Amino acid sequence: MSDWQERITHETAPAIRAEHELRYRMAGPLILGGGPWVDLGCGNGVAAAAALGDARPANAVLVDIEAPVVALAAHELGMPEAVQLACDLTDPVDLQRIDEALRHFEGDPVVTCFEVVEHLSTFLPLLEWMGTLARERGATFAISVPNDAFWSIQNPHHLTAWSEGAFEELRRLLPAEHTLLRQVAIAGSALVEWDVQPVQHELGVEAGGEGTVASHLIAAFGPRHGDLWRGALATQTDMLEQRRWERERESNVLLAEQMAREQKAAIEAQERIIVEQREELRGHTATFDEWRAYIHELERELGRPLAGTAEAIQRQTGAAADLQDSSHSTEPVEPPA
Amino acid sequence: MKVAFLVNDLQLSGGVGVVVEHARQLSRIEGWDVTLVLVREQEGPSWHGYEHLPHLHVRTREEALSDHYDVAVATWWETTFTLFELSAERCAYFVQSLEDRFYRHDEAEQLGAGLTLDLPVVFITEARWIADTLADLRPDAPCYLVRNGIDKETFGPLERAPINAAQPLRVLIEGSPSAWFKHVHDAIHAVAAMREPRHVTVVCGDREALGDVVADEIVGPLSHREMADLYERTDVVLKLSSVEGMFGPPLEGFHRGATCVVTPVTGHEEYVEHGWNGMLTDWDDLRGTARQLDLLARDRELLHFLRTNALETARAWPSWEQSSQFMAGALLAIHREPQAAAAAGAARLLADLRGGIEAYNGHLRERMDFARRALRYERPLARLRSSPIGQSLMALRGNRAVKVAARPLRPLTRRARRLLS
Repeated sequence: MSDWQERITHETAPAIRAEHELRYRMAGPLILGGGPWVDLGCGNGVAAAAALGDARPANAVLVDIEAPVVALAAHELGMPEAVQLACDLTDPVDLQRIDEALRHFEGDPVVTCFEVVEHLSTFLPLLEWMGTLARERGATFAISVPNDAFWSIQNPHHLTAWSEGAFEELRRLLPAEHTLLRQVAIAGSALVEWDVQPVQHELGVEAGGEGTVASHLIAAFGPRHGDLWRGALATQTDMLEQRRWERERESNVLLAEQMAREQKAAIEAQERIIVEQREELRGHTATFDEWRAYIHELERELGRPLAGTAEAIQRQTGAAADLQDSSHSTEPVEPPA
Repeated sequence: MKVAFLVNDLQLSGGVGVVVEHARQLSRIEGWDVTLVLVREQEGPSWHGYEHLPHLHVRTREEALSDHYDVAVATWWETTFTLFELSAERCAYFVQSLEDRFYRHDEAEQLGAGLTLDLPVVFITEARWIADTLADLRPDAPCYLVRNGIDKETFGPLERAPINAAQPLRVLIEGSPSAWFKHVHDAIHAVAAMREPRHVTVVCGDREALGDVVADEIVGPLSHREMADLYERTDVVLKLSSVEGMFGPPLEGFHRGATCVVTPVTGHEEYVEHGWNGMLTDWDDLRGTARQLDLLARDRELLHFLRTNALETARAWPSWEQSSQFMAGALLAIHREPQAAAAAGAARLLADLRGGIEAYNGHLRERMDFARRALRYERPLARLRSSPIGQSLMALRGNRAVKVAARPLRPLTRRARRLLS
């Protein structure tokens, strides 16, 4: 079972956090280049804060769909002065608000937009806005999308599907001058001293080449698209957190499976009861049919209309009306047979 | 944004369906006005299958001539004849295949279709192989890529691929038998050469062109909904086409849990991965195709593996909604950029025209040479026919006794006639 936790938090699996942090590290030279930084889909700012270390840009516009999340990002980044905007990036009016915020700042903006496009029901307004900002304000953009096609996992939060093919469609809409990168997964391990004192290892890793499958696809465009940092990031896995996360998932799966089994059993029991009751009903119907036949036989012998026929009902309702009329009388009346 | 898509007609076909779907999606965007311009004179109503297009305008060529558009888009080589007649700020060409390949080498349309790629237009195309080819042919012309989406409501991916553990392999053959490049009859012959039990369904809108073929079921024409149901009851979609643009049917089958056996036709590389979600068979190798189908019929683990991965591939394929966002982005970009210079592609156009004229001259020379040789036989025969002996012989042809006497000579005369022709 997949964990569709789409925001990066301190509890997110280390590999996913490293992926996200690496993207902000890649954009670091742009973000710290002097112009205002716009982070579209900033989330709670955990990855950006980790990637930028102690450095911060002079001006920032943090944007996400939920206002509390934006506030959290400003807090995490230690930038309470940052412009905080809750925006729907599919809405041109909301995108206009970002423009207005940028008017207060000097310099060429840098816009990061990581793992956002796939969450939008329509990305056309965002693309148009990006193009306009690039042309009119000399903005540089760094965007990323996941390579959904490789795993073909149906993520309920992803409203559009991305792959090398879809990225190629996007690329052809970008200005001719752009940088494309593939982000690939790496795995590793390290040896540490017994006393668990932290050590700094210099890692060498070969990544890329034929047959490389990207986990994410990255594009940058605008005047400074070539300034992206290229590198790899390895972080120590927090085994305790990972164990917690995986066990939680496993136990949740087991629980869900057990609940599903119980529900299934309950449904089967209900179905058995329905079958039994249907049989019972069938038996009762047969008994009633026998009784009805017997009563009809008696009625025929007595020369009375057969119960259930129109004649009998009419007689019965007539008698009931008579009975109602005579209820005003103090004399007791024999009910009709 | 006022856009005109030029189509020959609205007859139900793959290419027109793609254009209509884009037009429908674009017309839903606020501020977009989309018109389908029918450039060919319509012989009768051609709306079958497209009845519910509430936001779309449909105009004849004559009606459209009095309108003004931001972007006019040709969608088939013949529609380019009208492209520059319309009043439009920008002209684009939505290339769904290299359409000259639809014609044989001695058909004039082959040259015409090829020449339209030299026009001063911006290209939009639906497959990467076409984009790459256009980049080679016309490095001067911008080219946007908009892959076809899939109607996820009709061909919504199944939860999981259905399992066929023991029933005969269910093979679906689809395509127009009258289109030579679809090789529908080859596909039917390939399944006939199978050794394992199978159930063959042929989907065909033109029974006459199909002729007498051996199949368990022949159905069609079918609506998209009916096709989706049929794909769901299919294990393998068999396509042996030699020309395709984006190659939609196997992908639709993928969505409904079917795998495919296909030739390495252009367009397959967008989503078919041999041994992962489908099988590639060699060109003109009907026996090899039959053996691959036999393998799938025998090895149900492999069959289900391919079907499962085919379904996974389908999940990541974009919907029409996503695809048309790229189309909108491309049209906005085309409108923003200056119109292609009229001289663009002129050199290429003239070079192609020259090549075409030379090829045409070659064909004419061959035919004249043949006619001269035929005349050599024709003249003495004509003289003989007009002579009294010849006329007497001609008169004898009607005689019953002569007919009976000449019967043993028939194979000889037949062969002589064939030689002369």
